[in-house]
Amino acid sequence: MATKSRSSLVDTLRVRDAKDVEQVVRAAIASEQPLEIIGHGSKRLIGQPMATNALLDLSALNAVTSYEPNELIITVQAGAPLADVLSLIDSKNQQFAFEPINTARLMGTPNLGTIGGMIGAGLAGPRRIRAGGARDHLLGAHAVSGFGDSFKAGGRVVKNVTGYDLCKLLAGSWGTLAVMTEVTLKVMPRPESERTLVLRGLDDVAANRAMTAALGSPFDVSGAAHVPKSAFQAAVNGLGDHGSPREAVTLLRLEGITASATHRAAALARLLAPFGTAEIVEDAASAVIWSSVRDVQAFAAEGALGAWPVWRIVCPPASGGALGERLARDTGGDVTYDWGGGLVWAALPPKPDAQAALVRQRVNAVGGHAMLVRAPEEVRRSVDVFHPQPSGLAALGERVRHGFDPKNILNRGRMTRETPL
Amino acid sequence: MTIMMPTSDQAVLGRRDAIVAALRAIVPGEGVIDSAAEMLPYESDGLMAYRQPPMVVVLPDTSEQVSQVLKYCFEQGIKVVPRGAGTSLSGGALPLADGVLLGLGKFKRIREIDFDNRVVVTEPGVTNLAISQAVAHAGFYYAPDPSSQIACSIGGNVAENSGGVHCLKYGMTTNNVLGCEIVLMSGEIIKVGGKSAEHSGYDLMGIITGSEGLLGVITEVTVRILQKPETARAVMVGFAQVEAAGECVARIIGAGIIPGGMEMMDRPAIHAAEAFVHAGYPLDVEALLIIELDGPGVEVDELIERVEAIAQGCGSTTCQISTSETERNLFWAGRKAAFPAVGRISPDYLCMDGTIPRGKLPEALTRIRNLSEKYDLRVANVFHAGDGNLHPLILYDANKPGEMERAEAFGADILRVCVELGGVLTGEHGVGIEKRDLMPEMFSEIDLNQQQRLKCAFDAQGLLNPGKVFPTLHRCAELGRMHVHGGKLAFPDLPRF
Repeated sequence: MATKSRSSLVDTLRVRDAKDVEQVVRAAIASEQPLEIIGHGSKRLIGQPMATNALLDLSALNAVTSYEPNELIITVQAGAPLADVLSLIDSKNQQFAFEPINTARLMGTPNLGTIGGMIGAGLAGPRRIRAGGARDHLLGAHAVSGFGDSFKAGGRVVKNVTGYDLCKLLAGSWGTLAVMTEVTLKVMPRPESERTLVLRGLDDVAANRAMTAALGSPFDVSGAAHVPKSAFQAAVNGLGDHGSPREAVTLLRLEGITASATHRAAALARLLAPFGTAEIVEDAASAVIWSSVRDVQAFAAEGALGAWPVWRIVCPPASGGALGERLARDTGGDVTYDWGGGLVWAALPPKPDAQAALVRQRVNAVGGHAMLVRAPEEVRRSVDVFHPQPSGLAALGERVRHGFDPKNILNRGRMTRETPL
Repeated sequence: MTIMMPTSDQAVLGRRDAIVAALRAIVPGEGVIDSAAEMLPYESDGLMAYRQPPMVVVLPDTSEQVSQVLKYCFEQGIKVVPRGAGTSLSGGALPLADGVLLGLGKFKRIREIDFDNRVVVTEPGVTNLAISQAVAHAGFYYAPDPSSQIACSIGGNVAENSGGVHCLKYGMTTNNVLGCEIVLMSGEIIKVGGKSAEHSGYDLMGIITGSEGLLGVITEVTVRILQKPETARAVMVGFAQVEAAGECVARIIGAGIIPGGMEMMDRPAIHAAEAFVHAGYPLDVEALLIIELDGPGVEVDELIERVEAIAQGCGSTTCQISTSETERNLFWAGRKAAFPAVGRISPDYLCMDGTIPRGKLPEALTRIRNLSEKYDLRVANVFHAGDGNLHPLILYDANKPGEMERAEAFGADILRVCVELGGVLTGEHGVGIEKRDLMPEMFSEIDLNQQQRLKCAFDAQGLLNPGKVFPTLHRCAELGRMHVHGGKLAFPDLPRF
């Protein structure tokens, strides 16, 4: 079969409501034409390259259905721009507590995408250690399955155990199970104040120990990150005065009412005295640091390492420091840490397989998993972007997918590499 | 019994002796129970109005045995009902006459405590409270705290996605579990997740949690543990009107304060609890709020001041602030003993568990009061007010003809009200058999079919805990059928680019 030029020959179907989505999916089933589900396309470069030849475009489904600040919930259509929704809830002093990543800098895309994309990717920021991930904040959804049927999952209240919790599956499923049309999310009050403790000069393993001590304290740490000393990160790490290519920084965030954040920052600084003297950064300056950590600005597409493949490694938090340090040393790459060591971002010098074999062997050894978030299409075509699972678990996951989309119509091949015939 | 359970398989019952012998070959010694007298304790769970002796009880003590038992039953087409500590309030562990009751009571060991990664790896039969106790010496605890925490097992907590008083701030079981080992009906042992914050692929841990024993049998759980807050203090506020208490809850949340717990009791519940535990509750109020603030002392002190001011602004008539741990525990004692306290004033009671949007509390209470008059049955209300989770306790006497049926009809109407007000049928107790036939109030047939397709991915023959959660059982082949509607990818009326 001739290779189609994807941009010119692809059919784009811009849906206006859930009925349109049903109609498109049903027709796609009938004609056996897989669909690529997109909002603003901000994360199209993430995942296994897909075998689809039509786009289902949700960007016109962009309304805020209801926002009830006192109920701590918001219901929005999946194509609503994330930036707009964030500024809406910000106007009521609320936020998505899981701190969704803005992937634009990392991927070099112009915008941060839609609500649907945020849930489908399920990429949570630094506060995940305390507040959970996207999956913990998705209360309900309306979606169209690969059967072409609209169904409802969950509800519009925080506490709900009625039936299977299908929302958990939708979060992080990269559009491979169903096309979400509307979601209800939990919002939380924005903390009054934040303080960041900055420790300098720790190596990765010592920093991991400091973060472990902080997270094992009663001080309710809501961010624990480490940016190692790196020759590569000059001027791009976004830490302003608080980072430098010559010196590692370990960052610990405390949030809450002012009296509490101040008290805990001082107490935590005393606890961590064996690791050095902590400088304390407040409020707006602190917020800048954490948005840089959240968005992995160290490896921004326009930065010095913009051409390098980037891995997102999730592992038991206390094992992160040793894992990352060795990985950086053995590959000549660069790493940064979030989630107290439980999330390692690694930018590695380009190789045809993005060093997948080495990364996965190291990550498996500590019981973690690694996703190749950024890499050229030809690399993503030949490497498993998502971490390969043991056969029983993979087969179970595939049966689950089949239960939602038996004809493999939705984002076909995005999460699993099709074995070439 | 007003709930229909799946028809018993006479062929299976006819082979009972052979089945018992085969199970004995897998689980030797006292692990297989087949005498009517010894099976008696397994006839029901916390939903005691329903009883059914199982065909046989098997109590394995290794994952391998669980796997062999399930594999045998899978091959023989025998139904299996898993059971933890048997504290379910929705009948999740109600046996089947032709089913094997698989008890996890022998899985009693905590396998690993890992303070650096802040997790505990445990067998499913360990009680919820035992996990907190095992890590208390290092200042840690396991956050979800269902009222039955002294007895309920962590495996059952995962199966039911249990909540508790503190889940307003710290989440339910699903927000505090990282991984598990699960045995599928086929006997296959699968590990999901582990000590990492997230696992790879689809969030199967999220779907197993709260699956009410329909997807697999949990043989190991990895839970997240937290450091205990530095301090906790409780405020007890009385109101002359329920509406004012509801408004107070909304304003506290609206002010950006997320208390560790925020509970409400109405007059009948206050009186029953006070008569039972003498917690010093005011008896001349219509509603009582217990609000717990936790964290560093400076934070708790400041938030208590703010909460007190909000409560006064809502017209509170009494306000007490705990000044010691003893006093704080006393405030809670009445609330925690509310169920047994109500048990003292009525021969029987039915505990409901709907959730509504917080703002609808006063409306829900009014409607429950009207229903109470309609059914001529008393009701005492205790709520997890912070997250809108209602526990109306319907008082009745099973010895009076027709009264249990009336109580059940009353309960069903309350749950319908919850759904009508934008809420759900169950906030933390599960669907089980209790709310099974009400599922269509909340979900369409398409919604329910989609949920059952998930069941097919785990247990295509429908042998694990059938008759629970879903009012109608479908064959997986039927659910998987695709209704192709014809047509090509051509939509003249859709905008194209």
